[in-house]
Amino acid sequence: MAGNWQPEFEQLVDEHQSMVYSLALRMTADRGLAEEIAQDVFLELDRHLGKIESPLHAMAWLRRVAMSRSADALRRRKVRGMDLWVEMDESHGAQTELRPSPLGTRIESLLSTLPEAQRAALVLRYQEDLTPEEIATTLSAPLATVKSQLQRGLKLLRSKAAIHLKEYVRGI
Amino acid sequence: MEFEPMDDFERDLRAAMQRRPAPVGLKRKVMERRAKEHTIRRHERVVWWERLAASIVLVSVISGALAWHNMEERRKGEEAKQQVFTALRITSRALQQMNEQLTQHGKDGE
Repeated sequence: MAGNWQPEFEQLVDEHQSMVYSLALRMTADRGLAEEIAQDVFLELDRHLGKIESPLHAMAWLRRVAMSRSADALRRRKVRGMDLWVEMDESHGAQTELRPSPLGTRIESLLSTLPEAQRAALVLRYQEDLTPEEIATTLSAPLATVKSQLQRGLKLLRSKAAIHLKEYVRGI
Repeated sequence: MEFEPMDDFERDLRAAMQRRPAPVGLKRKVMERRAKEHTIRRHERVVWWERLAASIVLVSVISGALAWHNMEERRKGEEAKQQVFTALRITSRALQQMNEQLTQHGKDGE
C-alpha cells in the first residue's frame, strides 16, 4: 500500500454513508435500490481497501463506484422493463430521513426526469460541489462532454421548472 | 458555467441537493454483510489450501510411483543383462572345453 495512511473501514462507512446513499438515491430515485447500492459499494471498498491511499482517494473512489453501480442498476432496471422513476417522497424509509423543503422535493423530482448522463453531471456538481474537471474524472468522461451535459441538463431542468414549478420559482 | 455566478435557481438546486442522511441500519447491514463475506472468503482460502495440499500429495505419490517403476524396470533390465552375460560365459567356457578336446583328439590321432 502506498503512503502511511491505514484506512479504517468502519470509520469510512461512518463518514461517507450519507454521500454514497445520496448519490445512489438521486441517480436511481429508489430508496430501497439506493440502500442496496450503498451496501454493495462499501463491500467493494472493503475488497479494495489495500489499494486506497488517502482519505481523499477513498472519497473519490466511493463517488466513482457509487455512480458506476447506480448506472449499472439503472441499466438492469431498463432491461427488466420496470418503471424508471419512483416517487421520491414515497413513504418507504421516510420516517428516518430529514424531508427536504417542498421546493427541494419538486426540484429533486424534476431532476429525476432528466437523461441519466445529465443527471449524473448535475448531481456531482450540485450535491458534491465538484468542478467539471473532477466530474469528468469521476465519470471517466471527456471534459467537453461533461460541460455540455451540465449546460444542457441545467437548461432542461430550468425549462421543466418554468413549466411545473411556477408556484415556487419565478423569473426562470 | 463554472465561471458564472450562481443564480437563484442554481442556489435552490444546490439547497435541494443537500446530502440525505443514510437510512438507519445501513452501517449495521454493511458490517454484517462484510463479516459474512469475510467468513466465506476465509472458508474459500482454507478450501484452496486444502486443494493445493491434496494436489501436492497426489503429484508426489504419482512421481514416486513413476520413479519406483523406472528403478524397478532398470533393476530388472540389469538382472536380465547379468543372466545373459552368465549364459554367454557358460557357453564360452563349454565351447572352449570342446575346442580343447577336439585339439587333443587331433593330436592323439596323429
